[in-house]
Amino acid sequence: MAFKFPSLDFFRELARRMNADRATFEKLGFCDTVMGVRVQGPTPHLYALTFEVFDCSDVREIGDAREAELDFTLEAPLELWRAMLESICEHGRPAPEYTLNSLSHLGNRMRVVYDDPEGHDKLYRFMATLQAYFDNARDLEIEWA
Amino acid sequence: MSYYGTNDYSYNSDFSLRVRDMKKGNLDLGWLEQARERVEVRPRDRRRGLEVSDCEVGPYAIDALEDVVRDNRGLAPRGAILPAGYQPDLGPDLNKRTDVWAYRVQRYWEEAVSRQWNVSTDVPWRDMDKYEIPLDIEIAFCQLCTLLAEVEMIATDLPAKWSHHMNSYFQEVKGFIATQCMDEARHTEVFRKRALAGGVGLLRASARSEHALKGILEADSYSEGSVFMHVLGEGFVLTLFRSSEFISPTPVEQRMFQLVMQDEARHVSYGLQHLKYLMDKAPEHRAQINMFLDEAEQLLTGLFNSEQLEAMIVLGGKGTSPECIRRGIEVVGAFQGKQILEYFQRCERAGLPERKERSPLLALQHQMLAALQAAAI
Repeated sequence: MAFKFPSLDFFRELARRMNADRATFEKLGFCDTVMGVRVQGPTPHLYALTFEVFDCSDVREIGDAREAELDFTLEAPLELWRAMLESICEHGRPAPEYTLNSLSHLGNRMRVVYDDPEGHDKLYRFMATLQAYFDNARDLEIEWA
Repeated sequence: MSYYGTNDYSYNSDFSLRVRDMKKGNLDLGWLEQARERVEVRPRDRRRGLEVSDCEVGPYAIDALEDVVRDNRGLAPRGAILPAGYQPDLGPDLNKRTDVWAYRVQRYWEEAVSRQWNVSTDVPWRDMDKYEIPLDIEIAFCQLCTLLAEVEMIATDLPAKWSHHMNSYFQEVKGFIATQCMDEARHTEVFRKRALAGGVGLLRASARSEHALKGILEADSYSEGSVFMHVLGEGFVLTLFRSSEFISPTPVEQRMFQLVMQDEARHVSYGLQHLKYLMDKAPEHRAQINMFLDEAEQLLTGLFNSEQLEAMIVLGGKGTSPECIRRGIEVVGAFQGKQILEYFQRCERAGLPERKERSPLLALQHQMLAALQAAAI
């Protein structure tokens, strides 16, 4: 079954896979953050992903007005999200230049938007878990918007 | 000088006689009558188990404590009945909550315990054989590992140095910084192992870096040491780890930096929340912290010794050709700018927005980059 990107179904499928793979995510440890994923394009989207303990407990699409409630948002154009996910699908994990850290570190390719440095630091405190959540797309059939 | 207690229990005849009496069944049982009011402690979230914060009840809660601990000089845990007789004085000199406490410290402790990892098994060492790394890149990477191993040594020593100065009622902070000691020891381990695993080994240690790091240990108070190490030093090192993941030659090093990054970010968060707590509850310390940071920020630039900068430039540009060097200078300049920006943001969040105006960091950083660029062209 193909999952459209971006869509709620896509992120919920990654959440379902995370919650089904308890051993991997328990090993990585507690992860408590509400992060945003903003996909820029002709039809922009902002998704809120809630991580609690070892699970992704909630995925929803929200309006810009609620972005302040998020710890941080990863913001990138559709083409970059696509390149990242295609890299994950190709190698089973992202190529070095397509990890969440590499994409968001230098060059403004993927922007990290935040109000509070404490929220911003959660991206790094939980990096391995968040990367593993996205790596769940490795064998997903994706239909691009 | 060694410490000798006033009692030698092994030769105390009264005590020996009493023990013999007890063994005959003549018990006093007075301590049974001291049983406290019962408390109800349950895990709020079964997935997390019984957390430190679940035990913040009644006389055991940190908020049940006076701001200054005056009655406990020994090892009595918070909420226990203090021992009868003379309690040994273990000399805790951090007895005010503002000396050590941080918002959410219980959560950081739980997170640290939950997210521990193992250098031997969680880094994919076997995959190193899959990748070819050019020799100059490998040597530069080992130079980076050498500095990072030095840095992490001090980050182990600082919390270890201050732990026994903290009153035992502040168990959560002592527990958290114990996890930090373990984290930092693991970081030294991982950088050492990586340098050796590639066959090149460790390279030049730096007197300049070590002078900078010594300043962390020489802080007069825990808060000064904490703000220097957790907020300033580890904030900078967190960005250095992010950059190192960014320029890692293979997925093995990337994994290594993802893992150390997580620990480092947690330490930064604790430091930020301690500084914020201190500024909120004891703003009279503002001038002292500011004066200390004026010096600490100058000292910190010692971390950027010439071998280190050059190694980062080679790694950032992925080689030593003029074009690679130019690219490397851009990468290093960009991440150094980010280090400073994020440091000022954290200071502002913690209640010290004035750091941006009084900090020598910006000017020094501009000078260093200008010199580097001049040398490269």
